[in-house]
Amino acid sequence: MRRDRDWTGYGFLLPYLMLFGMFLVLPMVFGLGLSFFRYEMLSKEPAKFVGLENYREALWLPHADGTRGDAYFRQALWATVRFVVLAAPLTVTFALLLALGISMAPERRQNIYRLMVFVPTMITISVVGILWRWFFADQFGLFNIWLTRLHLREVHWLTDVNMAMKSLVLMTLWWTVGGPVVVLLAGIKQIPDAYYEAAAIDGATGWRRCWYITLPMLKPVLLFVIVLNVIGAWQVFGQPFIITSGGPERSTLVLMQYIYVTSFLNYRLGYGAAMSWLLFLLIAAFSLVQFRLMREK
Amino acid sequence: MRGVVTFLIVVGTLIAGGCDRAEVLGEKTTIRFWNGFTGPDGRTMLGLVKTFNDENPDLNVIMQRMEWGTYYNKLFVAGLGGRAPEIFVSHSYALPRFMGAGFVREVDDLLGTGPGQLDPADFDANVLANLQRHGRHWGIPLDVHPLGLFYNKKLFREAGIVDAKGEAKPPTNREEFVTALRKLTDAKKKQWGFVWTWQRTNSYTIIRQFGGELFDPQGVRPTMGAPENAEALTWCRGLIKEGLVPAPQDFNSWIGFRQGRVGMVFEGIYMLPELERQKDLDWGAAPVPVVGKQQSAWGESHSLVLRKDVKGKKLEGAKRLIKFLSDHSVEWAMGGQVPVRKSLRASEKFKSLYAQSQFAREIPYIAYYPKNPYIFEFLTEFDLAVELTLRGTLPADEALGRGQQNMERVVERYQAQGWDLGEAR
Repeated sequence: MRRDRDWTGYGFLLPYLMLFGMFLVLPMVFGLGLSFFRYEMLSKEPAKFVGLENYREALWLPHADGTRGDAYFRQALWATVRFVVLAAPLTVTFALLLALGISMAPERRQNIYRLMVFVPTMITISVVGILWRWFFADQFGLFNIWLTRLHLREVHWLTDVNMAMKSLVLMTLWWTVGGPVVVLLAGIKQIPDAYYEAAAIDGATGWRRCWYITLPMLKPVLLFVIVLNVIGAWQVFGQPFIITSGGPERSTLVLMQYIYVTSFLNYRLGYGAAMSWLLFLLIAAFSLVQFRLMREK
Repeated sequence: MRGVVTFLIVVGTLIAGGCDRAEVLGEKTTIRFWNGFTGPDGRTMLGLVKTFNDENPDLNVIMQRMEWGTYYNKLFVAGLGGRAPEIFVSHSYALPRFMGAGFVREVDDLLGTGPGQLDPADFDANVLANLQRHGRHWGIPLDVHPLGLFYNKKLFREAGIVDAKGEAKPPTNREEFVTALRKLTDAKKKQWGFVWTWQRTNSYTIIRQFGGELFDPQGVRPTMGAPENAEALTWCRGLIKEGLVPAPQDFNSWIGFRQGRVGMVFEGIYMLPELERQKDLDWGAAPVPVVGKQQSAWGESHSLVLRKDVKGKKLEGAKRLIKFLSDHSVEWAMGGQVPVRKSLRASEKFKSLYAQSQFAREIPYIAYYPKNPYIFEFLTEFDLAVELTLRGTLPADEALGRGQQNMERVVERYQAQGWDLGEAR
């Protein structure tokens, strides 16, 4: 017997789908189209279809001096890679350690710990940025005042080319670790007590219980947290934009900021769209690899 | 049900009220005025606009302030969409973009000696010419804000840099400047004779003093790699290497000056309100010393600009507002600006403004940024070259040479898109 399809579910989905379509799918498709056009708002000429020329400009367009592609694009990509490599693993590791630690605390205190870790996440990046700029300031910053009191050398947190990105990662860790902690904590709570009780009877130590029960059972949640963090790290923008403006010497000018400057300061929308799609493809590829790796037994 | 009826009544009343209000306002002509004055200067401007509205009951000027950081973006997009305000403020360096995009109206009919006009002879010729292109003016300068020398009088007296009366004596040339640096700098006390503030304006001033230029006279070809520019930046780096000036990354300059640990800074007149509020700092103001071969100091002007298609009553009202603001630019200057009307600068009211009067001496040789549509891309390259040099990462000629190469590519791109780049200055 053929059963009529029930459309009620779609009805509930409709408001979300409409917003999703209007503000995500449509702009993405529009952006993809735009990336094949030479569309510059400052130009006297109308937008012109140029095929893959914008992608070529970013990646392999030859120049008179023998170089190829956009050196600033490569520099921004490298800065972003450095951020991803530092920020994503650190955030996930710290979040996992904090979640495990909090889960072991007495039930009554867990809420207060969770709140303490989560509060920074609720502050907007503009406020966090201004706050940490003061913490990092060379002569009058909080961190250097502490270091001086401890008779240690001052650190050029934001003005040293080799230090600036690490400082941004440190700030990001403080700011974002709360979200993954809450998710991982919820995941830990989902693990039935029976496993731990059985392991305890078998004489398993706390560490072994964590390694053989908690982590394997937490794998789907952990995968979710890792993927979200890696995607978030690729899309980093607010931290360098507010704290370092991409400096010193463009060392923290990440891809998102370069796309922003290209598109909305220099009004090269076609080229900006092409770089956005290159970033999207990178993120998609990374996410796929992560899913594959985590799925393997 | 009763709740729904009440709601409908309230909404109906509000709509009706709104309609009434619109009709009342309909008797007035509304003029939108956008600017980026979000600091204390915004309150001064708001006060002027309120006075204007009171004095002109047939007009209703609505002023909207936005952060400079996003202001030009919003203005540009609004202009492209035909929704730009009737009047807006633009720095002179940003104006070529708006002119190029075709939504700026020329203002030559506002200049003249007739009623309601502004006498062009009353403006400084170089300041007015800065807004000229193809023989026409595209904005009315409201002010000029030059880079000047702020110095710490107490540190000067302690170091014995004084005149015959025992008063702190600011340097006027390279020799006096370097001598002052040597006397004021005391590494043990973490005290510096001079520190870089905004590297862009500081180095541009020195480059121009060394006879350097960043574009050819037509404003088309970049000349960033010119030897004079490299010579100027090499001299700047030399001060750092010699230990007379800290590297820019090693010092929070303006805060240091306000804390009394810095003898001299080159800063814009717009920093004045902060100093005036600070009662425990004995500071002085003077023109930037000539450390190169000629007088020069970076400066910029806020210009009052009209949208291209403003017509009829709105145009007449907008012109009235521009004249009013220009006539009241001494009040505007009190917040840290210099008026560009000679008659106003001759007034007792202006003469009583100490720092503004000092910095006004620089007007005849103010160095504006080059005028072209790719100024933002150009400044990015310039900033990077200056940063690489002052930090000691690259020699000046190499850093500037890289910038030159990148700028040539940018210029080619603009030319390929049909930009009229000639006579851009």
